[in-house]
Amino acid sequence: MKKYSDLEYLRLSKGQKFTYGLASFFASIPVFFKNLFLGIGRFFKNLFVGIGKEFADLGSTFAKGDWKTKISYVIMGFGNMARGQWLRGLLFLAFEAVFIMYMVVAGGYWLSMLPSLGKVGPGEVYNEVLDTYVYQYNDNSFKILLYGVLTIFFIIAFIYTWRMNVKQNKIAEEILATGKPLKSGKDDLKSLVDDQFHKTLLALPLTGILIFTVLPIVFMILVAFTNYDGTHDGYYSNLFTWVGLQNFNTLLNWSSGNNVYAATFGEILTWTLIWAFFATFTNYFLGMFVAMMINKKGIKLKKVWRTILVMTIAIPQFISLLYVSKMFSKNGIVNGLFLSLGWIKEAIPFWDSPTLARIMVIVINIWIGIPYLMLIVTGILMNIPADLYESSRIDGANAWQQFTKITLPYMLFITGPYLLTQFTGNMNNFNVIYLLTGGAPTNAAASSAAGTAGYTDLLITWLFKITTGAEAQYYLASVVGIMVFVVVAVISLIVYNVLPSIKNEEDFQ
Amino acid sequence: MSTNQTPKRHMGLKASARISNTIIYILLIFISIIWLAPFICIVLQSFRVESTWQVGYVIPQQWGLDNYVRLFHSDFTKWYLNTFIIAVAVAVIQTIIVLCMSYTLSRFRFKMRKALMQFMLILGMFPGMLTMIILYRVLKDLGMTQANAVPGLILVYVASSGMGYYVSKGFFDTIPKSLDEAARVDGATRAQVLTKIILPLAKPIVIYTILTAFMAPWGDFVFARYISFGTSAGMNVAVGMYNWLNKDMITSWYTTFCAGGVVVALPVTILFMCLQRYYVEGVTGGAVKG
Amino acid sequence: MANVKLTDVKKVYDNNVVAVHDFNLDIKDKEFVVFVGPSGCGKSTTLRMIAGLEEISGGTVEIDGEVVNDLQPKDRNIAMVFQNYALYPHMTVYDNIAFSLRLQKVPEDVIYDKVTNAAEILGITEYLTRKPRALSGGQRQRVAIGRAMVRDSKVFLMDEPLSNLDAKLRNQMRAEIILLRQKLDTTFVYVTHDQTEAMTLGDRIVIMKDGYIMQVGTPAEVFDRPNNLFVAGFIGAPQMNFINTKLTKENGKYYVHPFGVKMPVDDAKGEELAAKQVEPGDIVLGARPEHIVLSESTDGTIPCTLEVNEMMGSEVHLHVYTEDGTRLVVRVPTMNLTNEQRESLKQGKKVNLAFESKIMHFFDKESELNLIYA
Repeated sequence: MKKYSDLEYLRLSKGQKFTYGLASFFASIPVFFKNLFLGIGRFFKNLFVGIGKEFADLGSTFAKGDWKTKISYVIMGFGNMARGQWLRGLLFLAFEAVFIMYMVVAGGYWLSMLPSLGKVGPGEVYNEVLDTYVYQYNDNSFKILLYGVLTIFFIIAFIYTWRMNVKQNKIAEEILATGKPLKSGKDDLKSLVDDQFHKTLLALPLTGILIFTVLPIVFMILVAFTNYDGTHDGYYSNLFTWVGLQNFNTLLNWSSGNNVYAATFGEILTWTLIWAFFATFTNYFLGMFVAMMINKKGIKLKKVWRTILVMTIAIPQFISLLYVSKMFSKNGIVNGLFLSLGWIKEAIPFWDSPTLARIMVIVINIWIGIPYLMLIVTGILMNIPADLYESSRIDGANAWQQFTKITLPYMLFITGPYLLTQFTGNMNNFNVIYLLTGGAPTNAAASSAAGTAGYTDLLITWLFKITTGAEAQYYLASVVGIMVFVVVAVISLIVYNVLPSIKNEEDFQ
Repeated sequence: MSTNQTPKRHMGLKASARISNTIIYILLIFISIIWLAPFICIVLQSFRVESTWQVGYVIPQQWGLDNYVRLFHSDFTKWYLNTFIIAVAVAVIQTIIVLCMSYTLSRFRFKMRKALMQFMLILGMFPGMLTMIILYRVLKDLGMTQANAVPGLILVYVASSGMGYYVSKGFFDTIPKSLDEAARVDGATRAQVLTKIILPLAKPIVIYTILTAFMAPWGDFVFARYISFGTSAGMNVAVGMYNWLNKDMITSWYTTFCAGGVVVALPVTILFMCLQRYYVEGVTGGAVKG
Repeated sequence: MANVKLTDVKKVYDNNVVAVHDFNLDIKDKEFVVFVGPSGCGKSTTLRMIAGLEEISGGTVEIDGEVVNDLQPKDRNIAMVFQNYALYPHMTVYDNIAFSLRLQKVPEDVIYDKVTNAAEILGITEYLTRKPRALSGGQRQRVAIGRAMVRDSKVFLMDEPLSNLDAKLRNQMRAEIILLRQKLDTTFVYVTHDQTEAMTLGDRIVIMKDGYIMQVGTPAEVFDRPNNLFVAGFIGAPQMNFINTKLTKENGKYYVHPFGVKMPVDDAKGEELAAKQVEPGDIVLGARPEHIVLSESTDGTIPCTLEVNEMMGSEVHLHVYTEDGTRLVVRVPTMNLTNEQRESLKQGKKVNLAFESKIMHFFDKESELNLIYA
């Protein structure tokens, strides 16, 4: 592709500029992926170089260190204690003791069972005392997987702590060599509210995220490679075990003839994307429209209009959505009114026709979403410098030109990242779909396979359906969840890296 | 433009403005009706006595408090209390966690800061529902499901709330850093900077965080349904009232649902309207920051 | 009341950008030192390293003989005034000034005495119960200074304290800072980008560029004996004129050839050049606008055309260009001009310029160093 200089570019006609922009966009895609892979490569290179350096440092610290340092390689915190830093030393030692105890008592067992996820399932066992067969539960695949992962986390934490312990010795030796005193336990405690205050502040939030988000996500990713479901719950019914990539094959392989899962997944993914697109942009533009009406000069009672819309935000969504859903049902108030007014002869099947149901969820979503957008847009409108409008009026722009040349570009620039989060948020908008339709109307072709997939089901509501009920296919839900992640991640990556408008975010600052 | 044309055009402007304003007023009234209609209907139907099911008209033929009486004799009071306890606990704990997280990410430049933020961004791309499967079983082992769902739900809501730091971090970023620096030079520790300088200035965002944290549990459906798992004593209002609208119950519970909706929405809405200013500030600030 | 010693102080940011290169400076007790330079030269970074707000990447900072590298700002016993004042918006003026004392747990009646005393000195007594937002820029600045005053700190740091004020207020506050300095009698480190402020306030001036110290000296030293082209151009307004030319030597005497006009170098300067064993070659000749004069004679003078005449009141700045298009600025006291001359100095007028050869500066073209003083 020919690259134009700035001056050459200015001479192009509108059409040429557009083609040129489009061409540069597509030309930038390979570059983007090249950079992405290079970045990943660099990451791993840095990782390995880093690990290498750590080992080299471990060696040199051992070789150069005094006996206190050397003993610390085995007894953590020894060096600290020997140099008078009792608090740190004791903490290290305690951590080591806990770790060893745990590994002996439990960790070793979980880790050894991890490759098989349990050997003996539940079953009847002869009991000599009672002289009868009793049903007995044995290994627990679920716990093995969970505690196995936890044990690996713990081992990583231990290695990190051990490394820190060695580093401490090195640093302490260096400080002592300059003749300065080491920090005492009191200094350490004091620094927790001062220069190390961030560690104090982050301790609680990060622990929560680690245990309640990171650990479950790792666990669920692993579940995608097992046959964990309602009939293989790992303890009460049957053990579950590793099955490799089989589940991904089930969900994604279209070629294997009559694959209902793949077809259903494809259909739901398509609808999810369509839904996210419409839900995001209808809200965005209509919200902008409403905000601009309310903010127009000369419109009175601005506060009243705004308050009416804002009030609807406060009402819990399950009330408004469930209620609106019933309003449009066959014997709901809307059909009732239309019938009594004689506008229609028989009830409109708002929720029974696939197309109508899909349109309805998008329309009702507008009703839900506009108040938020109105607030956001109002905030941004207020921030657009008034002199931009004044100067454009002097330049001869009319209201429509002001909107397209000033308001809209400004909006798009400021709200670019917000639009992206809205889009991905809508892809996972469980509440609106589940409370309005519950996924209905049922898609007969798709529902025989997994859950009871309907025409308005999003991936996220489908996932929920898969995991409920006696035949919950957790492994499938987990694959769907991973696919949702992949789709969201790809969209975010492309939007963030390729679209120039987000890159040049500073333009309007 | 010649001068003698100016007055004519001026009048034209005024007239066209009047027309466009009239159109806008009509549209705004129409919009207001659409937005308020469901809520007016729900209130009216909650007072309807003659039928407990859906009817094709809006104004009740017979007014009465029957539905409310029935509401307070059902499990609703239990659900309401559950939700209220959860909401208060979440509001307190989540606010503390979010403030810790966002203040730290806004003010401290430590080694892993960027990596941490990117990591959380990636974590956020996983559907949160996925984690429910395992959390349910773990909480079940800990005895925090079904009838004891309240502590379990609080734990689930609060535990990962550190990831929702964006909006308040955006706010903290707008407080000049030189205030922190001045205070530190004046002899304050980092902790004192937070308590004596930043928190008093962060009142709007603190209120915003409390408000959103308090409101979320009233509307949550998925997690609450998972963890209460069909046990009425552990449900929140959303899960409990959802069941009233299933095929078997809707004929006799529809108007009670409306009454319940009013009882749930009223306090939350009043609270929200009182603190509206802070909410608007938070929402707009958050979106502009991205 | 302490000296501040910076030894090989360095600042390297995470992205490997070096903001400050090996900075060495010994600030004496009760000295007023000004860091001056264009934005991005590292002057504020250096000040912030002294304050402890910026980590020190290398070298040591000593205050009163103690290495403070690892001390938190609160433990360094310093006071600082910020560019945007950094007043705590939720506290009254009184509470703002009292903040540091309260953190030190000073008894309230002592705080009262100290705060009211400082307010008295600064003339802000009547605003003590107001919040900062109700104050004007100048008043806020006074509060910020008051907050620093009550600390009895060892070192008083000021980071561009006057740059947010309008020109008139800035002149007034500059005078007040001089008075304040006399009252406080402590060590001051002052950062500014304004060379006038630097010249009027500093006992010594540190001129910085791109993280390097260009020159350290008293105002007179940096004005009269600039080390290099940068200092020569930075100090003094309007800027010194620079002329690319040749230095030649005939019979032991030096000559310069600005615009092809051969001019002998003043004897005293010539001796200094000779003492430095300066060889003839390409140089940059520096002449301040006040050291160029209008001349009636056409012999040995530079013919120029007047482009702009800026009447400043007590002086006139003439922007002229020579025959080869080089632009020069000449500063003429108004009182030296007759009325006819003032009338005639219009655009397009031909004038002849002569140099005061006693006050010329010679810079090496390559290294940009002053051939005599560097």
